[in-house]
Amino acid sequence: MTVVVAGGRPRHLPQSELRSGTGYWVASLVSMMHFDYGRVRQWVPMMIVIQTMMGAGMALLYGFFYPHVTATRALYITTGAPTLALIPLGFVMLPGTVAEQKLEGTFDYIWSLPSPRSAQAASTFVLYTLLALPGSVFALLVAAWRYHVHLAFSPLLVPAVLLCALMAITVGYGMALAISNPMVTNVVTNALMFVVLLFSPIVYPVSQLPRWLATVHYFLPFYNMAVVIRAGLTSGVVAHVAISFVVLAAWTAAGGAATAWVVGRRR
Amino acid sequence: MPELQDASVIVPHGTVERGARHWWHDYAVMVQWHLASLRVWLVTLTIVQLLAGVGFVLGISLFFVRVPMTAALFVSTGVPVINLMTVGLILGPQLVADQKSNGSYEYLRSMPVSRSVTAAAWYTVCLIGGVPAMVVSLGVARLRYDLPLHVSPMIVPAVLLTSFAGTMLGYALGHAIGSPMATRLITQLLVFAIFGFAPILFPLSQMPRWLGTLNWWFPFRQMAVVTRAALTPGGHAAVLSAYVVLGLWAIACAGLAGRALGRRP
Repeated sequence: MTVVVAGGRPRHLPQSELRSGTGYWVASLVSMMHFDYGRVRQWVPMMIVIQTMMGAGMALLYGFFYPHVTATRALYITTGAPTLALIPLGFVMLPGTVAEQKLEGTFDYIWSLPSPRSAQAASTFVLYTLLALPGSVFALLVAAWRYHVHLAFSPLLVPAVLLCALMAITVGYGMALAISNPMVTNVVTNALMFVVLLFSPIVYPVSQLPRWLATVHYFLPFYNMAVVIRAGLTSGVVAHVAISFVVLAAWTAAGGAATAWVVGRRR
Repeated sequence: MPELQDASVIVPHGTVERGARHWWHDYAVMVQWHLASLRVWLVTLTIVQLLAGVGFVLGISLFFVRVPMTAALFVSTGVPVINLMTVGLILGPQLVADQKSNGSYEYLRSMPVSRSVTAAAWYTVCLIGGVPAMVVSLGVARLRYDLPLHVSPMIVPAVLLTSFAGTMLGYALGHAIGSPMATRLITQLLVFAIFGFAPILFPLSQMPRWLGTLNWWFPFRQMAVVTRAALTPGGHAAVLSAYVVLGLWAIACAGLAGRALGRRP
Protein backbone atom coordinates (compact mmCIF):
# COMPACT_ATOMS: atom_id res chain seq x y z
CA MET A 1 0.00 0.00 0.00
CA THR A 2 2.86 2.38 -0.61
CA VAL A 3 2.18 5.08 -3.04
CA VAL A 4 5.39 6.43 -4.39
CA VAL A 5 5.05 10.07 -5.02
CA ALA A 6 7.58 11.53 -7.37
CA GLY A 7 7.36 15.02 -8.71
CA GLY A 8 4.03 15.57 -6.94
CA ARG A 9 2.22 12.95 -9.04
CA PRO A 10 1.20 9.56 -7.65
CA ARG A 11 2.44 6.60 -9.66
CA HIS A 12 1.19 2.97 -9.58
CA LEU A 13 -2.34 4.27 -9.54
CA PRO A 14 -4.56 3.91 -12.59
CA GLN A 15 -5.24 7.03 -14.52
CA SER A 16 -8.74 7.64 -13.19
CA GLU A 17 -9.65 11.17 -14.12
CA LEU A 18 -12.59 11.47 -16.51
CA ARG A 19 -11.69 12.06 -20.07
CA SER A 20 -14.10 13.84 -22.35
CA GLY A 21 -14.38 15.59 -25.69
CA THR A 22 -15.64 14.62 -29.11
CA GLY A 23 -12.42 12.85 -30.08
CA TYR A 24 -12.52 10.69 -26.99
CA TRP A 25 -16.22 9.94 -27.51
CA VAL A 26 -15.65 8.80 -31.10
CA ALA A 27 -12.65 6.69 -30.05
CA SER A 28 -14.81 5.12 -27.32
CA LEU A 29 -17.58 4.41 -29.82
CA VAL A 30 -15.14 2.67 -32.13
CA SER A 31 -13.66 0.52 -29.36
CA MET A 32 -17.10 -0.30 -27.96
CA MET A 33 -18.20 -1.38 -31.44
CA HIS A 34 -15.16 -3.67 -31.64
CA PHE A 35 -16.01 -5.00 -28.20
CA ASP A 36 -19.72 -5.52 -28.95
CA TYR A 37 -19.07 -7.07 -32.33
CA GLY A 38 -16.59 -9.46 -30.75
CA ARG A 39 -19.26 -10.60 -28.35
CA VAL A 40 -22.07 -11.09 -30.86
CA ARG A 41 -19.89 -12.35 -33.74
CA GLN A 42 -20.69 -16.02 -33.15
CA TRP A 43 -24.42 -15.26 -33.08
CA VAL A 44 -24.50 -13.16 -36.26
CA PRO A 45 -25.29 -16.03 -38.69
CA MET A 46 -28.01 -17.28 -36.36
CA MET A 47 -29.52 -13.80 -36.02
CA ILE A 48 -29.67 -13.43 -39.78
CA VAL A 49 -31.21 -16.89 -40.15
CA ILE A 50 -33.85 -16.20 -37.47
CA GLN A 51 -34.70 -12.85 -39.02
CA THR A 52 -34.98 -14.32 -42.50
CA MET A 53 -37.11 -17.19 -41.19
CA MET A 54 -39.29 -14.78 -39.31
CA GLY A 55 -39.78 -12.37 -42.23
CA ALA A 56 -39.91 -14.87 -45.08
CA GLY A 57 -41.61 -17.58 -43.02
CA MET A 58 -44.34 -15.24 -41.89
CA ALA A 59 -44.79 -13.97 -45.45
CA LEU A 60 -45.32 -17.55 -46.69
CA LEU A 61 -47.51 -18.38 -43.72
CA TYR A 62 -49.87 -15.42 -44.15
CA GLY A 63 -50.44 -16.60 -47.71
CA PHE A 64 -51.79 -19.94 -46.44
CA PHE A 65 -54.54 -18.18 -44.53
CA TYR A 66 -56.12 -16.78 -47.69
CA PRO A 67 -58.23 -18.96 -50.00
CA HIS A 68 -56.95 -16.88 -52.90
CA VAL A 69 -53.91 -14.61 -52.76
CA THR A 70 -54.90 -11.69 -54.97
CA ALA A 71 -52.34 -9.30 -56.47
CA THR A 72 -53.09 -6.67 -53.82
CA ARG A 73 -52.74 -9.17 -50.98
CA ALA A 74 -49.48 -10.47 -52.48
CA LEU A 75 -48.15 -6.91 -52.69
CA TYR A 76 -49.08 -6.18 -49.09
CA ILE A 77 -47.59 -9.44 -47.80
CA THR A 78 -44.35 -9.04 -49.77
CA THR A 79 -43.76 -5.44 -48.75
CA GLY A 80 -44.66 -6.30 -45.15
CA ALA A 81 -41.97 -8.99 -44.97
CA PRO A 82 -38.97 -6.65 -44.31
CA THR A 83 -40.95 -4.98 -41.51
CA LEU A 84 -41.72 -8.38 -40.00
CA ALA A 85 -38.01 -9.22 -40.14
CA LEU A 86 -36.96 -5.99 -38.41
CA ILE A 87 -39.37 -6.19 -35.49
CA PRO A 88 -38.14 -9.36 -33.72
CA LEU A 89 -34.50 -8.23 -33.75
CA GLY A 90 -35.20 -4.95 -32.01
CA PHE A 91 -38.21 -5.84 -29.90
CA VAL A 92 -37.39 -9.43 -28.88
CA MET A 93 -33.78 -10.46 -29.47
CA LEU A 94 -32.11 -7.28 -28.20
CA PRO A 95 -34.19 -7.05 -24.98
CA GLY A 96 -33.51 -10.77 -24.49
CA THR A 97 -29.77 -10.15 -24.83
CA VAL A 98 -29.93 -7.25 -22.37
CA ALA A 99 -31.95 -9.37 -19.90
CA GLU A 100 -29.34 -12.11 -20.14
CA GLN A 101 -26.50 -9.59 -19.65
CA LYS A 102 -28.26 -8.27 -16.55
CA LEU A 103 -28.60 -11.77 -15.12
CA GLU A 104 -24.99 -12.78 -15.73
CA GLY A 105 -23.51 -9.44 -14.69
CA THR A 106 -21.93 -8.46 -18.03
CA PHE A 107 -24.04 -5.36 -17.96
CA ASP A 108 -22.42 -4.02 -14.81
CA TYR A 109 -19.01 -4.82 -16.26
CA ILE A 110 -19.70 -2.81 -19.41
CA TRP A 111 -20.92 0.14 -17.36
CA SER A 112 -17.69 0.03 -15.35
CA LEU A 113 -15.58 0.48 -18.49
CA PRO A 114 -13.95 3.90 -18.84
CA SER A 115 -15.93 4.93 -21.90
CA PRO A 116 -18.91 7.28 -21.90
CA ARG A 117 -22.16 5.37 -21.43
CA SER A 118 -23.68 7.29 -24.31
CA ALA A 119 -20.95 5.85 -26.54
CA GLN A 120 -21.74 2.38 -25.21
CA ALA A 121 -25.42 2.77 -26.06
CA ALA A 122 -24.64 4.34 -29.44
CA SER A 123 -22.39 1.39 -30.26
CA THR A 124 -25.28 -1.02 -29.62
CA PHE A 125 -27.60 1.08 -31.80
CA VAL A 126 -25.20 1.29 -34.74
CA LEU A 127 -24.11 -2.35 -34.57
CA TYR A 128 -27.58 -3.81 -34.35
CA THR A 129 -28.95 -1.50 -37.03
CA LEU A 130 -26.28 -2.83 -39.40
CA LEU A 131 -26.97 -6.41 -38.32
CA ALA A 132 -30.70 -5.95 -38.97
CA LEU A 133 -30.25 -5.18 -42.66
CA PRO A 134 -29.25 -8.56 -44.26
CA GLY A 135 -32.17 -10.42 -42.69
CA SER A 136 -34.74 -7.97 -43.97
CA VAL A 137 -33.27 -8.01 -47.49
CA PHE A 138 -33.41 -11.83 -47.54
CA ALA A 139 -36.99 -11.80 -46.25
CA LEU A 140 -37.99 -9.41 -49.04
CA LEU A 141 -36.25 -11.51 -51.69
CA VAL A 142 -37.94 -14.75 -50.57
CA ALA A 143 -41.38 -13.11 -50.39
CA ALA A 144 -40.98 -11.43 -53.80
CA TRP A 145 -39.92 -14.76 -55.32
CA ARG A 146 -42.84 -16.64 -53.76
CA TYR A 147 -45.55 -14.17 -54.81
CA HIS A 148 -44.00 -12.97 -58.11
CA VAL A 149 -44.44 -9.36 -57.11
CA HIS A 150 -42.81 -6.58 -59.13
CA LEU A 151 -41.45 -3.90 -56.87
CA ALA A 152 -40.72 -0.28 -57.69
CA PHE A 153 -37.76 0.75 -55.58
CA SER A 154 -37.46 4.40 -54.66
CA PRO A 155 -34.58 6.21 -52.93
CA LEU A 156 -36.92 6.63 -49.97
CA LEU A 157 -36.23 2.98 -49.10
CA VAL A 158 -32.77 3.71 -47.64
CA PRO A 159 -33.84 6.22 -44.98
CA ALA A 160 -37.02 4.23 -44.37
CA VAL A 161 -35.23 0.96 -43.58
CA LEU A 162 -32.48 2.67 -41.58
CA LEU A 163 -34.99 4.63 -39.50
CA CYS A 164 -37.15 1.55 -38.91
CA ALA A 165 -34.18 -0.55 -37.81
CA LEU A 166 -32.85 2.24 -35.60
CA MET A 167 -36.30 2.83 -34.11
CA ALA A 168 -36.90 -0.86 -33.31
CA ILE A 169 -33.48 -1.14 -31.70
CA THR A 170 -33.64 2.12 -29.73
CA VAL A 171 -37.11 1.38 -28.40
CA GLY A 172 -36.25 -2.27 -27.63
CA TYR A 173 -33.05 -1.24 -25.86
CA GLY A 174 -34.73 1.59 -23.93
CA MET A 175 -37.50 -0.78 -22.87
CA ALA A 176 -35.03 -3.46 -21.75
CA LEU A 177 -33.09 -0.88 -19.72
CA ALA A 178 -36.10 0.88 -18.23
CA ILE A 179 -37.78 -2.35 -17.06
CA SER A 180 -35.53 -3.67 -14.33
CA ASN A 181 -37.02 -7.17 -14.01
CA PRO A 182 -35.93 -9.44 -16.92
CA MET A 183 -39.03 -11.62 -16.42
CA VAL A 184 -41.29 -8.62 -17.08
CA THR A 185 -39.27 -7.76 -20.19
CA ASN A 186 -39.81 -11.32 -21.42
CA VAL A 187 -43.57 -11.12 -20.93
CA VAL A 188 -43.78 -7.70 -22.62
CA THR A 189 -41.78 -8.78 -25.67
CA ASN A 190 -43.85 -11.94 -26.12
CA ALA A 191 -47.11 -10.02 -25.80
CA LEU A 192 -45.77 -7.48 -28.33
CA MET A 193 -45.02 -10.19 -30.88
CA PHE A 194 -48.56 -11.50 -30.54
CA VAL A 195 -49.99 -8.02 -31.14
CA VAL A 196 -47.65 -7.47 -34.07
CA LEU A 197 -48.39 -10.75 -35.82
CA LEU A 198 -52.17 -10.77 -35.43
CA PHE A 199 -53.45 -7.30 -34.77
CA SER A 200 -51.10 -5.00 -36.70
CA PRO A 201 -51.84 -3.82 -40.23
CA ILE A 202 -48.44 -4.83 -41.62
CA VAL A 203 -49.48 -7.44 -44.19
CA TYR A 204 -52.99 -6.16 -44.73
CA PRO A 205 -54.47 -2.66 -45.27
CA VAL A 206 -55.24 -0.57 -42.19
CA SER A 207 -58.75 -0.05 -43.54
CA GLN A 208 -59.61 -3.62 -42.51
CA LEU A 209 -59.27 -2.73 -38.85
CA PRO A 210 -62.07 -1.37 -36.67
CA ARG A 211 -61.75 2.41 -36.44
CA TRP A 212 -60.56 2.50 -32.80
CA LEU A 213 -57.83 -0.07 -33.44
CA ALA A 214 -56.70 1.80 -36.54
CA THR A 215 -56.44 5.00 -34.47
CA VAL A 216 -54.28 3.18 -31.91
CA HIS A 217 -52.03 1.96 -34.70
CA TYR A 218 -51.51 5.48 -36.11
CA PHE A 219 -49.61 6.18 -32.88
CA LEU A 220 -47.84 2.83 -32.48
CA PRO A 221 -44.66 2.18 -34.48
CA PHE A 222 -45.61 -1.07 -36.29
CA TYR A 223 -48.07 0.28 -38.84
CA ASN A 224 -45.83 3.29 -39.54
CA MET A 225 -42.84 1.02 -40.15
CA ALA A 226 -44.88 -0.88 -42.72
CA VAL A 227 -45.97 2.40 -44.35
CA VAL A 228 -42.50 3.87 -44.86
CA ILE A 229 -40.96 0.61 -46.07
CA ARG A 230 -43.89 -0.02 -48.41
CA ALA A 231 -43.48 3.52 -49.72
CA GLY A 232 -39.88 2.70 -50.60
CA LEU A 233 -40.84 -0.48 -52.45
CA THR A 234 -43.94 0.58 -54.36
CA SER A 235 -45.34 3.63 -56.05
CA GLY A 236 -48.82 4.97 -55.47
CA VAL A 237 -49.83 2.47 -52.80
CA VAL A 238 -49.37 4.45 -49.62
CA ALA A 239 -50.07 8.03 -48.65
CA HIS A 240 -49.15 10.22 -45.69
CA VAL A 241 -45.60 8.87 -45.60
CA ALA A 242 -44.28 12.03 -43.95
CA ILE A 243 -46.54 11.58 -40.90
CA SER A 244 -45.27 8.01 -40.50
CA PHE A 245 -41.67 9.24 -40.65
CA VAL A 246 -42.48 11.78 -37.92
CA VAL A 247 -44.12 9.13 -35.70
CA LEU A 248 -41.14 6.81 -36.15
CA ALA A 249 -38.70 9.61 -35.37
CA ALA A 250 -40.69 10.41 -32.24
CA TRP A 251 -40.50 6.76 -31.12
CA THR A 252 -36.76 6.73 -31.81
CA ALA A 253 -36.36 9.86 -29.70
CA ALA A 254 -38.47 8.32 -26.93
CA GLY A 255 -36.35 5.15 -26.96
CA GLY A 256 -33.20 7.27 -26.89
CA ALA A 257 -34.58 9.34 -24.02
CA ALA A 258 -35.45 6.23 -22.00
CA THR A 259 -31.92 4.93 -22.59
CA ALA A 260 -30.37 8.27 -21.65
CA TRP A 261 -32.48 8.45 -18.49
CA VAL A 262 -31.38 4.99 -17.33
CA VAL A 263 -27.70 5.24 -18.24
CA GLY A 264 -27.47 8.77 -16.82
CA ARG A 265 -28.41 7.61 -13.32
CA ARG A 266 -25.97 6.17 -10.85
CA ARG A 267 -27.01 3.14 -8.88
CA MET B 1 -21.01 -58.91 8.99
CA PRO B 2 -22.00 -55.80 10.93
CA GLU B 3 -21.79 -53.54 7.82
CA LEU B 4 -24.48 -55.48 6.00
CA GLN B 5 -26.85 -55.35 8.94
CA ASP B 6 -26.30 -51.61 9.21
CA ALA B 7 -26.88 -51.25 5.49
CA SER B 8 -30.26 -52.97 5.67
CA VAL B 9 -31.29 -50.40 8.25
CA ILE B 10 -29.92 -47.40 6.36
CA VAL B 11 -31.27 -48.21 2.87
CA PRO B 12 -34.60 -46.41 2.61
CA HIS B 13 -37.80 -48.16 1.69
CA GLY B 14 -37.62 -46.99 -1.90
CA THR B 15 -39.07 -49.74 -4.04
CA VAL B 16 -41.98 -48.99 -6.33
CA GLU B 17 -45.19 -50.47 -4.96
CA ARG B 18 -47.19 -52.47 -7.52
CA GLY B 19 -50.91 -53.08 -7.92
CA ALA B 20 -53.93 -51.05 -8.95
CA ARG B 21 -54.59 -49.61 -5.49
CA HIS B 22 -51.07 -48.29 -5.18
CA TRP B 23 -51.21 -47.02 -8.75
CA TRP B 24 -54.30 -44.93 -8.05
CA HIS B 25 -52.89 -43.63 -4.80
CA ASP B 26 -49.58 -42.67 -6.43
CA TYR B 27 -51.45 -41.12 -9.32
CA ALA B 28 -53.61 -38.94 -7.06
CA VAL B 29 -50.55 -37.85 -5.09
CA MET B 30 -48.57 -37.01 -8.24
CA VAL B 31 -51.44 -34.97 -9.71
CA GLN B 32 -51.66 -33.04 -6.43
CA TRP B 33 -47.90 -32.59 -6.48
CA HIS B 34 -47.96 -31.16 -10.01
CA LEU B 35 -50.92 -28.89 -9.30
CA ALA B 36 -49.34 -27.61 -6.10
CA SER B 37 -45.87 -27.03 -7.55
CA LEU B 38 -47.20 -25.46 -10.75
CA ARG B 39 -50.03 -23.42 -9.23
CA VAL B 40 -48.68 -20.00 -10.21
CA TRP B 41 -47.47 -21.30 -13.54
CA LEU B 42 -50.84 -22.93 -14.31
CA VAL B 43 -52.81 -19.77 -13.58
CA THR B 44 -50.51 -17.71 -15.81
CA LEU B 45 -50.69 -20.40 -18.45
CA THR B 46 -54.49 -20.49 -18.42
CA ILE B 47 -54.63 -16.72 -18.87
CA VAL B 48 -52.11 -16.83 -21.73
CA GLN B 49 -54.00 -19.72 -23.35
CA LEU B 50 -57.30 -17.82 -23.09
CA LEU B 51 -55.81 -14.62 -24.52
CA ALA B 52 -54.05 -16.47 -27.34
CA GLY B 53 -57.10 -18.57 -28.20
CA VAL B 54 -59.56 -15.69 -28.15
CA GLY B 55 -56.97 -13.44 -29.86
CA PHE B 56 -56.62 -15.85 -32.75
CA VAL B 57 -60.35 -16.32 -33.14
CA LEU B 58 -60.95 -12.56 -33.23
CA GLY B 59 -57.72 -11.64 -35.05
CA ILE B 60 -58.39 -13.70 -38.16
CA SER B 61 -61.30 -11.45 -39.11
CA LEU B 62 -58.83 -8.54 -39.53
CA PHE B 63 -57.09 -10.39 -42.36
CA PHE B 64 -60.15 -10.06 -44.56
CA VAL B 65 -62.43 -7.27 -45.68
CA ARG B 66 -65.32 -9.67 -45.12
CA VAL B 67 -64.28 -12.87 -43.39
CA PRO B 68 -65.39 -15.98 -45.36
CA MET B 69 -67.26 -18.63 -43.35
CA THR B 70 -64.66 -21.29 -44.23
CA ALA B 71 -61.80 -19.22 -42.83
CA ALA B 72 -63.72 -18.47 -39.64
CA LEU B 73 -64.73 -22.11 -39.24
CA PHE B 74 -61.21 -23.44 -39.74
CA VAL B 75 -59.63 -21.01 -37.32
CA SER B 76 -62.36 -21.55 -34.74
CA THR B 77 -62.04 -25.33 -34.84
CA GLY B 78 -58.25 -25.22 -35.16
CA VAL B 79 -57.58 -23.01 -32.13
CA PRO B 80 -58.94 -25.71 -29.73
CA VAL B 81 -56.36 -28.14 -31.16
CA ILE B 82 -53.60 -25.64 -30.44
CA ASN B 83 -55.02 -24.97 -26.95
CA LEU B 84 -54.98 -28.71 -26.26
CA MET B 85 -51.42 -29.37 -27.33
CA THR B 86 -49.69 -26.20 -26.11
CA VAL B 87 -49.23 -27.43 -22.53
CA GLY B 88 -48.05 -30.94 -23.31
CA LEU B 89 -46.09 -30.29 -26.46
CA ILE B 90 -44.58 -26.83 -26.03
CA LEU B 91 -44.50 -25.94 -22.33
CA GLY B 92 -43.96 -29.48 -21.03
CA PRO B 93 -40.55 -29.98 -22.69
CA GLN B 94 -39.49 -26.45 -21.69
CA LEU B 95 -40.44 -27.22 -18.09
CA VAL B 96 -38.39 -30.43 -18.20
CA ALA B 97 -35.50 -28.48 -19.75
CA ASP B 98 -35.70 -25.96 -16.88
CA GLN B 99 -35.78 -28.79 -14.35
CA LYS B 100 -32.71 -30.31 -15.99
CA SER B 101 -30.91 -26.97 -15.88
CA ASN B 102 -31.66 -26.26 -12.22
CA GLY B 103 -31.26 -29.81 -10.92
CA SER B 104 -34.80 -30.60 -9.77
CA TYR B 105 -35.10 -33.18 -12.57
CA GLU B 106 -32.93 -35.72 -10.76
CA TYR B 107 -34.92 -35.16 -7.59
CA LEU B 108 -38.24 -35.78 -9.34
CA ARG B 109 -36.86 -38.95 -10.90
CA SER B 110 -35.80 -40.26 -7.52
CA MET B 111 -39.41 -40.43 -6.32
CA PRO B 112 -40.71 -43.97 -5.79
CA VAL B 113 -43.51 -43.90 -8.37
CA SER B 114 -43.69 -45.88 -11.58
CA ARG B 115 -43.16 -44.30 -14.98
CA SER B 116 -46.77 -44.91 -16.00
CA VAL B 117 -47.98 -42.98 -12.94
CA THR B 118 -45.68 -40.05 -13.71
CA ALA B 119 -46.87 -39.97 -17.32
CA ALA B 120 -50.57 -40.33 -16.45
CA ALA B 121 -50.36 -37.56 -13.84
CA TRP B 122 -48.65 -35.22 -16.30
CA TYR B 123 -51.24 -36.04 -18.97
CA THR B 124 -54.00 -35.11 -16.51
CA VAL B 125 -52.31 -31.78 -15.77
CA CYS B 126 -52.04 -31.10 -19.52
CA LEU B 127 -55.78 -31.74 -19.91
CA ILE B 128 -56.51 -29.40 -17.00
CA GLY B 129 -54.36 -26.73 -18.66
CA GLY B 130 -55.91 -27.17 -22.11
CA VAL B 131 -59.62 -27.98 -21.92
CA PRO B 132 -60.90 -24.73 -20.28
CA ALA B 133 -59.14 -22.59 -22.89
CA MET B 134 -60.54 -24.80 -25.63
CA VAL B 135 -64.10 -24.37 -24.36
CA VAL B 136 -63.77 -20.58 -24.05
CA SER B 137 -62.20 -20.22 -27.53
CA LEU B 138 -65.04 -22.23 -29.05
CA GLY B 139 -67.63 -20.18 -27.17
CA VAL B 140 -66.14 -16.89 -28.35
CA ALA B 141 -65.92 -18.20 -31.92
CA ARG B 142 -69.59 -19.17 -31.84
CA LEU B 143 -70.63 -15.77 -30.56
CA ARG B 144 -68.43 -13.82 -32.98
CA TYR B 145 -69.07 -15.69 -36.23
CA ASP B 146 -72.37 -17.50 -35.59
CA LEU B 147 -70.78 -20.74 -36.76
CA PRO B 148 -72.68 -23.93 -37.63
CA LEU B 149 -70.95 -25.96 -34.92
CA HIS B 150 -72.26 -29.37 -34.00
CA VAL B 151 -70.53 -31.05 -31.08
CA SER B 152 -70.80 -34.84 -31.40
CA PRO B 153 -69.91 -37.40 -28.70
CA MET B 154 -66.75 -38.11 -30.72
CA ILE B 155 -65.35 -34.94 -29.15
CA VAL B 156 -64.39 -37.00 -26.08
CA PRO B 157 -62.02 -39.45 -27.81
CA ALA B 158 -60.83 -36.65 -30.13
CA VAL B 159 -59.85 -34.37 -27.24
CA LEU B 160 -58.35 -37.20 -25.20
CA LEU B 161 -56.26 -38.55 -28.07
CA THR B 162 -55.18 -35.12 -29.37
CA SER B 163 -54.01 -34.11 -25.94
CA PHE B 164 -52.43 -37.53 -25.33
CA ALA B 165 -50.47 -37.52 -28.59
CA GLY B 166 -49.29 -33.95 -27.96
CA THR B 167 -48.32 -34.72 -24.39
CA MET B 168 -46.43 -37.88 -25.33
CA LEU B 169 -44.60 -36.11 -28.16
CA GLY B 170 -43.61 -33.39 -25.71
CA TYR B 171 -42.70 -36.05 -23.16
CA ALA B 172 -40.37 -37.70 -25.63
CA LEU B 173 -38.83 -34.32 -26.57
CA GLY B 174 -38.30 -33.40 -22.95
CA HIS B 175 -36.98 -36.69 -21.63
CA ALA B 176 -35.34 -38.43 -24.60
CA ILE B 177 -33.31 -35.38 -25.73
CA GLY B 178 -30.43 -34.88 -23.36
CA SER B 179 -29.56 -31.24 -23.96
CA PRO B 180 -32.01 -28.66 -22.53
CA MET B 181 -30.82 -26.15 -25.18
CA ALA B 182 -31.78 -28.53 -28.01
CA THR B 183 -35.18 -29.15 -26.40
CA ARG B 184 -35.87 -25.40 -26.18
CA LEU B 185 -34.81 -24.82 -29.78
CA ILE B 186 -36.93 -27.69 -31.13
CA THR B 187 -40.03 -26.53 -29.27
CA GLN B 188 -39.56 -22.98 -30.61
CA LEU B 189 -39.40 -24.35 -34.13
CA LEU B 190 -42.45 -26.52 -33.44
CA VAL B 191 -44.53 -23.47 -32.48
CA PHE B 192 -43.67 -21.92 -35.83
CA ALA B 193 -44.42 -25.15 -37.71
CA ILE B 194 -47.72 -25.76 -35.92
CA PHE B 195 -49.10 -22.27 -36.46
CA GLY B 196 -48.03 -21.81 -40.03
CA PHE B 197 -46.97 -24.96 -41.76
CA ALA B 198 -49.51 -27.50 -40.58
CA PRO B 199 -53.09 -27.32 -41.90
CA ILE B 200 -54.68 -26.70 -38.49
CA LEU B 201 -55.95 -23.14 -38.80
CA PHE B 202 -56.65 -23.18 -42.55
CA PRO B 203 -57.81 -25.75 -45.14
CA LEU B 204 -55.31 -28.20 -46.56
CA SER B 205 -56.06 -26.96 -50.07
CA GLN B 206 -54.54 -23.55 -49.30
CA MET B 207 -51.03 -24.90 -48.88
CA PRO B 208 -48.76 -26.40 -51.56
CA ARG B 209 -49.66 -30.00 -52.33
CA TRP B 210 -46.27 -31.43 -51.32
CA LEU B 211 -46.48 -29.73 -47.92
CA GLY B 212 -49.93 -31.18 -47.36
CA THR B 213 -48.68 -34.66 -48.25
CA LEU B 214 -45.74 -34.25 -45.93
CA ASN B 215 -48.12 -33.23 -43.18
CA TRP B 216 -50.03 -36.50 -43.54
CA TRP B 217 -47.13 -38.26 -41.82
CA PHE B 218 -47.09 -35.83 -38.90
CA PRO B 219 -49.59 -35.81 -36.04
CA PHE B 220 -50.67 -32.13 -36.24
CA ARG B 221 -52.80 -32.42 -39.37
CA GLN B 222 -54.44 -35.54 -37.94
CA MET B 223 -55.20 -33.82 -34.63
CA ALA B 224 -57.04 -31.12 -36.55
CA VAL B 225 -58.91 -33.73 -38.60
CA VAL B 226 -60.26 -35.67 -35.59
CA THR B 227 -61.14 -32.56 -33.56
CA ARG B 228 -62.79 -30.76 -36.49
CA ALA B 229 -64.79 -33.88 -37.35
CA ALA B 230 -66.22 -33.92 -33.82
CA LEU B 231 -67.12 -30.22 -33.91
CA THR B 232 -68.72 -29.78 -37.31
CA PRO B 233 -71.72 -31.48 -38.92
CA GLY B 234 -71.53 -33.75 -41.94
CA GLY B 235 -69.47 -36.76 -42.93
CA HIS B 236 -65.72 -36.56 -42.72
CA ALA B 237 -63.35 -38.59 -44.79
CA ALA B 238 -60.07 -39.89 -43.43
CA VAL B 239 -61.08 -39.64 -39.76
CA LEU B 240 -60.29 -43.30 -39.13
CA SER B 241 -56.83 -43.08 -40.67
CA ALA B 242 -56.23 -39.89 -38.68
CA TYR B 243 -57.01 -41.74 -35.45
CA VAL B 244 -54.63 -44.55 -36.47
CA VAL B 245 -51.76 -42.20 -37.34
CA LEU B 246 -52.28 -40.22 -34.12
CA GLY B 247 -52.43 -43.40 -32.05
CA LEU B 248 -49.21 -44.71 -33.60
CA TRP B 249 -47.42 -41.40 -32.88
CA ALA B 250 -48.65 -41.44 -29.29
CA ILE B 251 -47.50 -45.02 -28.72
CA ALA B 252 -44.11 -44.47 -30.36
CA CYS B 253 -43.46 -41.29 -28.35
CA ALA B 254 -44.63 -42.89 -25.10
CA GLY B 255 -42.23 -45.75 -25.80
CA LEU B 256 -39.32 -43.36 -26.46
CA ALA B 257 -40.01 -41.34 -23.32
CA GLY B 258 -40.49 -44.50 -21.24
CA ARG B 259 -37.17 -45.89 -22.42
CA ALA B 260 -35.39 -42.62 -21.63
CA LEU B 261 -36.96 -42.49 -18.17
CA GLY B 262 -36.12 -46.14 -17.47
CA ARG B 263 -32.42 -45.69 -18.29
CA ARG B 264 -30.13 -45.09 -15.38
CA PRO B 265 -28.08 -41.94 -15.86
